[in-house]
Amino acid sequence: MLQIKADIIGKEEVMPGVFNLILVSPEISRNARPGQFVHVLCPTDDGFMLRRPFSIHRVVPGRAFEILFQVVGKGTEALSRVKIHDTLDIIGPLGTGFKYSEDIRSALLIAGGLGVAPLLFLAEELVERQVLFYPMLGYKTKTQMLRYIDFKRLGKKTYAATEDGSFGHEGTVADLLNRTVHNIRPEIIYACGPVGMLKKISETADEFGIECQVSLETKMACGIGVCLGCACVTRRGYKMACKDGPVFNTRDILWGAEDYEKGLANGCGCDNEALSETDSAG
Amino acid sequence: MSVNLSVNLSGIKMKNPVMPASGTFGAGREFSELIDINRLGALVAKTVTLKPRDGNIPPRLCEVSSGMLNSIGLQNEGIDHFLKHDFPFMREFDVPIIVNIAGNSLEEYAQLCRELDRVEGVSGIELNISCPNIKAGGIAFGASSKLAEQVTAAARYNTQLPLIVKLTPNVYNISKIARAVTSAGADVISLINTMVGMSIDTNTFKPNLGNITGGLSGPAIKPIAVRMVWEVAQSVKIPIIGIGGISNALDAVEFFLAGATAIAVGTANFINPTTMTDIISGLEAYLVEKGFTDISQIIGKVKT
Ligand SMILES: Cc1cc2nc3c(=O)[nH]c(=O)nc-3n(C[C@H](O)[C@H](O)[C@H](O)COP(=O)(O)OP(=O)(O)OC[C@H]3O[C@@H](n4cnc5c(N)ncnc54)[C@H](O)[C@@H]3O)c2cc1C
Ligand SMILES: Cc1cc2nc3c(=O)[nH]c(=O)nc-3n(C[C@H](O)[C@H](O)[C@H](O)COP(=O)(O)O)c2cc1C
Ligand code: FES
Repeated sequence: MLQIKADIIGKEEVMPGVFNLILVSPEISRNARPGQFVHVLCPTDDGFMLRRPFSIHRVVPGRAFEILFQVVGKGTEALSRVKIHDTLDIIGPLGTGFKYSEDIRSALLIAGGLGVAPLLFLAEELVERQVLFYPMLGYKTKTQMLRYIDFKRLGKKTYAATEDGSFGHEGTVADLLNRTVHNIRPEIIYACGPVGMLKKISETADEFGIECQVSLETKMACGIGVCLGCACVTRRGYKMACKDGPVFNTRDILWGAEDYEKGLANGCGCDNEALSETDSAG
Repeated sequence: MSVNLSVNLSGIKMKNPVMPASGTFGAGREFSELIDINRLGALVAKTVTLKPRDGNIPPRLCEVSSGMLNSIGLQNEGIDHFLKHDFPFMREFDVPIIVNIAGNSLEEYAQLCRELDRVEGVSGIELNISCPNIKAGGIAFGASSKLAEQVTAAARYNTQLPLIVKLTPNVYNISKIARAVTSAGADVISLINTMVGMSIDTNTFKPNLGNITGGLSGPAIKPIAVRMVWEVAQSVKIPIIGIGGISNALDAVEFFLAGATAIAVGTANFINPTTMTDIISGLEAYLVEKGFTDISQIIGKVKT
């Protein structure tokens, strides 16, 4: 982990409201693992703003790395206004990324929308390791097919779904997975996207006994494991998205309030006091 | 540049008056990769409790105008784990170590003090009687001058170490609490902890924190903190650690002028890990520019 001022050497609006930045950092490009992220100080004159986390989207070996982001609020809005040769204050690489064993032979990479961000880096790594993999990409509509071409070039066979049916399967990637998983039979699933999608994918993976790792998003303050603010509820107690994650094995994740209670009752290591406290203010 | 930044907090000798605020720096392990810890005036550990605490249900963070809300809930692994795994790491630095503690009862505060009193390398104990995010203990002790006095006395009885009492701003009369803990034997007062706040998602109608309410920190609370430091400085003679929204050297100077002998930086560490080291350099430059040679020359010098 280090703090750097990274020179911006590339900026592209890949589709309306979605930007790709190329940032110089030999150290980050050398040390980053797929699934890790950087914590970015978004350049704003607006006074107080916490850093914002972005997945490492791709590396230019030995030289630079990329982030891909969508403008959703004031931080990403500020970030979209940077110019080539501006510098960005960045801490990284951070977190625990995707894990793979040496002997893995086939993988399924599932992305929903901006979920392609960490998975493209993973895809490039899998190509290098000569692991067969199938990208399965879900989008709203045909004109928003972020990085489809890149995955198609790298993967064995690429599956796509659009919500409006304008390209590929009509519906969500979670549906598409349900229909195709018995044909693909991957050894492992890697996924990133909205939490509802991840939950469905993990249920399917469970049903078919396939290992599944997902990248989770939470609000972050420090990004380095200090503030304990980015807690995710797991079967092994609270884990920090910025340090233990953002990639978690779905075996460990508890997805909702009912699940939390189940996990706690099962003795995940959390004391139940923590839960009862939530119904009192402070 | 020959300016003297060293201060003495009732026996805690610091080479400069700048330290992290408890809970925003862990045990320093992560930040040690980003800054030179040996430059700091002291290290302050995250609150430890007798038993491990899991903390509160997420979400635990929410950014708001000029600050953030947190409802961590004192997640920590307990004193035994701290002494075995974190404290030895902190001791590798040439910096005084302040251990911050919280309990559910007077007896727990007393027991923690007894244990820490025996540990070599602890420079001071900070009593957190001001956490707004736990049900028992914490703020309950800091919001009543009677309980604040009792918990300070219990701690005092069990340790010879310099005793810092950390106050909550969620009270009407901060001076009264400050006098109570001073008379019970506090050596130093630190303030402020976070202010209780709340934020609501206007799409889902749900609170943005799992715990519903949380503690507000950052620039938003700085004027409140400066006012409280100033009021407390008028009413007690013991040294004060000023905390609340400090992000740069001039923020720190305000606290010194109000009467603080040292300052602690919290939320700003998350945004810029070099905040504290920048403040140390900035204080030197400020004193030189103003023609002072010693930080003590500005402490409490607000002209009212
Ligand atoms: C580990 C990690 C990796 C991420 N990688 C990427 C990435 O590669 N590309 C990308 O575009 N985004 C990514 N995100 C999400 C990104 O951090 C948020 O979109 C960003 O912080 C929003 O900042 P803002 O100031 O623009 O929006 P805000 O003003 O803070 O919020 C605007 C809206 O976005 C929502 N939002 C804010 N933060 C998050 C978040 N962390 N997760 C989900 N929703 C959020 C808010 O609820 C709100 O509705 C990642 C998040 C994490 C935790
Ligand atoms: C994420 C977070 C965790 C905190 N944890 C603790 C804690 O464990 N013990 C404590 O005494 N204060 C804790 N605090 C309060 C800070 O030490 C400090 O008093 C407060 O944040 C105000 O300072 P700031 O505005 O510089 O952050 C915490 C604050 C934050 C933001
Ligand atoms: S964001 Fe601070 S611990 Fe994860």
